[in-house]
Amino acid sequence: MAVVAIEALSKRYPGSNETAVRDFNLAVADGEFMVLLGPSGCGKSSVLRMIAGLEPITAGTIAIDGKVMNQVPAKQRDIAMVFQSYALYPHMDVFNNLAFGLRRRRVPAAEIDRRVRQAADKLGLALFLRRKPHALSGGQRQRVALGRAIVREPKVFLFDEPLSNLDAALRVSTRNELIRQQHEIGITTIYVTHDQVEAMTMGHRICIMDQGEVVQIGAPLEVYRNPVNTFVARFLGNPPMNLVPIELGRGSGRLGSVSIPLRSWSETALGPARSVLLGIRPEDLYETPPRPGDDLVPIAMRVSAVEPLGAETLLVLTLDDDATDIIARVGRDTRLRVGERATIMLDTTTVHLFDPVTTRVIARDLA
Amino acid sequence: MWRRTPLILFLLLYTVVSGGPFVWVAIMSVRTTPEIFANPYALPTRFHWEKFAQAWSHSNYSTYFWNSIIVVTTAVALITVFGAMAAHCLARYRFRANRPIRFLILSGMILPPQLLILSLFQILLDYHLYNTLTGLILVYVASHLAMTVYILEGFFAQIPQDLFDAARMDGYGDFEIFWRITLPVGAPALFTTVTLNFIILWNEFLYAVVLLTEDDKRTLPLGIMHFMGSHQLDVGMVATGLMIAIAPVIVLYALFSDTMIRGMTAGAVR
Repeated sequence: MAVVAIEALSKRYPGSNETAVRDFNLAVADGEFMVLLGPSGCGKSSVLRMIAGLEPITAGTIAIDGKVMNQVPAKQRDIAMVFQSYALYPHMDVFNNLAFGLRRRRVPAAEIDRRVRQAADKLGLALFLRRKPHALSGGQRQRVALGRAIVREPKVFLFDEPLSNLDAALRVSTRNELIRQQHEIGITTIYVTHDQVEAMTMGHRICIMDQGEVVQIGAPLEVYRNPVNTFVARFLGNPPMNLVPIELGRGSGRLGSVSIPLRSWSETALGPARSVLLGIRPEDLYETPPRPGDDLVPIAMRVSAVEPLGAETLLVLTLDDDATDIIARVGRDTRLRVGERATIMLDTTTVHLFDPVTTRVIARDLA
Repeated sequence: MWRRTPLILFLLLYTVVSGGPFVWVAIMSVRTTPEIFANPYALPTRFHWEKFAQAWSHSNYSTYFWNSIIVVTTAVALITVFGAMAAHCLARYRFRANRPIRFLILSGMILPPQLLILSLFQILLDYHLYNTLTGLILVYVASHLAMTVYILEGFFAQIPQDLFDAARMDGYGDFEIFWRITLPVGAPALFTTVTLNFIILWNEFLYAVVLLTEDDKRTLPLGIMHFMGSHQLDVGMVATGLMIAIAPVIVLYALFSDTMIRGMTAGAVR
């Protein structure tokens, strides 16, 4: 049980001119499942390794339960970490892999035995306790890695992309298993991933990082619905949010020849900008309107690709006078074919506006 | 089947060429000299095992043998422990002098021993280590440490960093990680260097002949030379003496050749 507070953290690797992590601030509540999400090289693993004590901190502080950890060596931080490669000790069997950390902490042998067997039962490893890691499947190894963290009963769990070496089906089941375990144990968890599905489904909150900085922190759906800039808008969601430039007029924007009313933004909010980026999620474009209403604007487009995914179909559309691709997520029974013209309904209550220069969102200021 | 015939023939020839002399000496070691002179290539009609006891007790062979055991096992133990420590540090830690130290160690490998022998002789004299087993042990450690560090470092560097990080998270310090992770995971490489060093040092002649002169300090290779001198015409006894000297190496190789080859060829732990 622990609160993790990170303030003004930065990291610069020796011999490198670039700052890997810059002015990183994050507070993780007791028992919270926090996901650090970002593309490769955004600094999320560096943050995790600094929390673990595996990398020295260049500037800023990391505190656990109010105690600054900067100078505390990794072995004394009482943190357990699950690695992407699992990092199981190849010369030890499963039992000894699980018991290794407890032995160092001088836990009595009977207690070690009890905790290891309990964790093994919980994770379905009871039959494999005498096997060496090389004789286990990928999923089993992953569970041993998780078990090694669980038996320690640490203050904080750290996960560094633990599911990325598993195949797709196993990843889904292990993901659910992880969520269940964390919920049962209730230990503060920081989980690093570049997979937005993992982030959306697992985290209580998501911290999105880009180029070493925090971009946005919030509950998954809150971040999904209210991205602060185009990076978050594109990074969360699959397919990502459509971003198309529109010309601003009086209380409306022009997308090609179509006028889109922008009732939620005042003149002052929009400022002197002449053009902005209009953001619309693929699921907010409709082939057939879900309900009648004046919030829906019809846009005539050409179908340039049809991607049936089974449960739904993705349409790749192009405007007549624009090369920008727009992706719409429609029902699986769509009859539209490549090359046909389609009238797609756009839900104007769900659009976002972004400043094309700063890429930041332009906030709604009218009800 | 027929496609493999050339390969099998080649291996057969290779085995005869490399194993033949050994088998010949082994056969001669249980035959008497008159028997050998009568027919050098014949199989033994009677096994004269008593020749081994004779060679062992009448020719100071037991002294040579134990000297060799003491010198070689001590030297190999020291080389392995210090070599593994140095290799672990060079493979695992980023520090300023890493590359210069590595260069220094590796440059020790390219100097021929003949070049060093005079200065070593003088150094051992100055430190009163000339004509002592301790002196020879120190020379062996110094001369074979570089190659050991080189082999071990290459192997240790391939052990994934995550293993060490995991052990640190599990609460272990640098030295414990060396003992509990690097050494057991690197065991195949350690076997390789132990076997290799043992065989090389067991047969080492040049340093031993220059640095040891007293008869009761001699190691086996010197003993064999001495033995051949005093049994010039007794070919049978010479063969028996050779077999005693070769036996430990053969046993070691038979036990560890698999591990050794794996350690030399295989890469990382998976």
